[in-house]
Amino acid sequence: MIGTCVIAFIMVLAPLFAVAWVSFFDNKIISFPPRGYTLNWYVAAWEMERFRDGFLTSLKLGIVATLVSLLVGVPASVVLARGAFRGRELVQSILLAPLIVPGIVAGAALYMFLIEIEIATGVQVAMTFGGLALAHSLIALPWIVRLVTASLIGADRQLEEAALVMGARPLTAFWRVTWPVIRPGVVAGGLFSFIISFVDLEKSLFLVGPGSTTLPIAIVNYLEWSIDPTIAAVATVQIVVIAAGLIVGDRYFKLTRAF
Amino acid sequence: MGRVVEQGIQSLNGTLTARADSQAASSTPRSRAGWLLLPSLALVLLGLILPLFLMAKYSVSHFEAGAVVAEGLTLENYVRFFSDPFYLWILLRTLTVAFSCTVVCLLLGLPAAYILSRISHPIIKTALILATVVPLLMGNAVRAAGWMVLLADRGLVNSTLIFTGIISEPVRILYTGSAVVIGLIAVLLPFMIISLQSVFEGIGEIYEEAALSLGARPWKMFFRVLLPLAVPGIFSGCLLCFVLAVNAYATPVLIGGPSFQMMAPKVYEQAIKVYNWPFAASLAFILMGVTFILTVLSSLTLQKRYGTV
Repeated sequence: MIGTCVIAFIMVLAPLFAVAWVSFFDNKIISFPPRGYTLNWYVAAWEMERFRDGFLTSLKLGIVATLVSLLVGVPASVVLARGAFRGRELVQSILLAPLIVPGIVAGAALYMFLIEIEIATGVQVAMTFGGLALAHSLIALPWIVRLVTASLIGADRQLEEAALVMGARPLTAFWRVTWPVIRPGVVAGGLFSFIISFVDLEKSLFLVGPGSTTLPIAIVNYLEWSIDPTIAAVATVQIVVIAAGLIVGDRYFKLTRAF
Repeated sequence: MGRVVEQGIQSLNGTLTARADSQAASSTPRSRAGWLLLPSLALVLLGLILPLFLMAKYSVSHFEAGAVVAEGLTLENYVRFFSDPFYLWILLRTLTVAFSCTVVCLLLGLPAAYILSRISHPIIKTALILATVVPLLMGNAVRAAGWMVLLADRGLVNSTLIFTGIISEPVRILYTGSAVVIGLIAVLLPFMIISLQSVFEGIGEIYEEAALSLGARPWKMFFRVLLPLAVPGIFSGCLLCFVLAVNAYATPVLIGGPSFQMMAPKVYEQAIKVYNWPFAASLAFILMGVTFILTVLSSLTLQKRYGTV
């Protein structure tokens, strides 16, 4: 029993450690054991335009997607968690739908849709940052909805009503009473949104274009041709960015509770 | 990747939403706040629902090389898929790979999940859960790179085997079906472990203690008491893994190489490389349909046997 448990953890963790280890190898072609260790591949990776651009695009995209999905998702979550209205279940399933439709299917559909819009209006939307931002906000939204509604569970609705009865304006009541309750959910939702956007592959696959390629796509395109310490360094950078996000987020909420 | 994390968590949090429901029912409606829902609904409508309808239209359109606008009303794309052994073979392979991955994930994940759920030391428990969850958030591209490093002809696995004298020539592992299965298992295991762990947490130790105190041996207790109680949860964990495996893109493309073809990469190829949108659209719907039918069929079977799912 312990044995299978160990195998399971090795299978999950081994690829990450392997790729990080190889990124320091002082060999041009991967072979074991290494001749020595170096940091040169990180410099080499940063000097390659596609990886630098990809990294910056993914970073910007993650931030934009997080902001957009927070902006539309937090109000919706509060209404969903607080109101009993007709069609509530339906609204909730619609907002969570981007989780359920497979990425490759949704990506293909959005791509055709954006091209169709292009043909109708003459404005380029597919293969632009805007198109990617739409797709990424969409996949981030369910995370916001799930984590923010979850943070309202167990919160005392009457506190808010008390504030309103005692004469607080709705906005004041929200800011002084509701906000402190949902803040951990908002932080967690924002963090997950960023990560989901940063690592997304299937959705972006159809929508990237020259000048707007994300880091995971750049990694995949490179890996289709070769695997070497440079790409290992790029992959390690992605691991570090996400780990950093998780460590920062861990100060505000318990990561293990998000699942 | 991304995708991978997402779908999974949805099913895991059924309990949370259920509690939210019961709370909402007891509170008063707030009719004026409805407009707060509109921006988010508009986002999903514009980014997902309308595109899916458009794609549905494409999937029943006639393909004309060079023409982009969908025309006609025909089932020829679906007929082409189901009458061409090449595509049926790809579908069969996709299902076989997904099935084998699910079985192995269950065998490896079940003990891990059980042990995780019964660890009482909070720090060890958190560390192990993080070790399961964090790789899940790292992205499929990165994990595929890791497996390529491990499984390549001169990769870590082959080098170790040669160094220890077990083999003298590198064994071809990368760009084979088994490599894809290995890679996918690693991608899906965290989902299996996390969902089964919550199942075992939910069952609690009372039943175990009861069985053990009545004299059952640990193994008997596990198979006769714990496992039957966990069946519905185990089932949804397997379904989740299966669905994610059927729709996998990065792992088959990178670890399987160009000759190992599965469904999701084919959708991309037809839409972007061949530019046959009607066929790409019908492939996408077949992929979604197979997933959906299997989900419904298996939940019905389970419902029949266990009453609730």
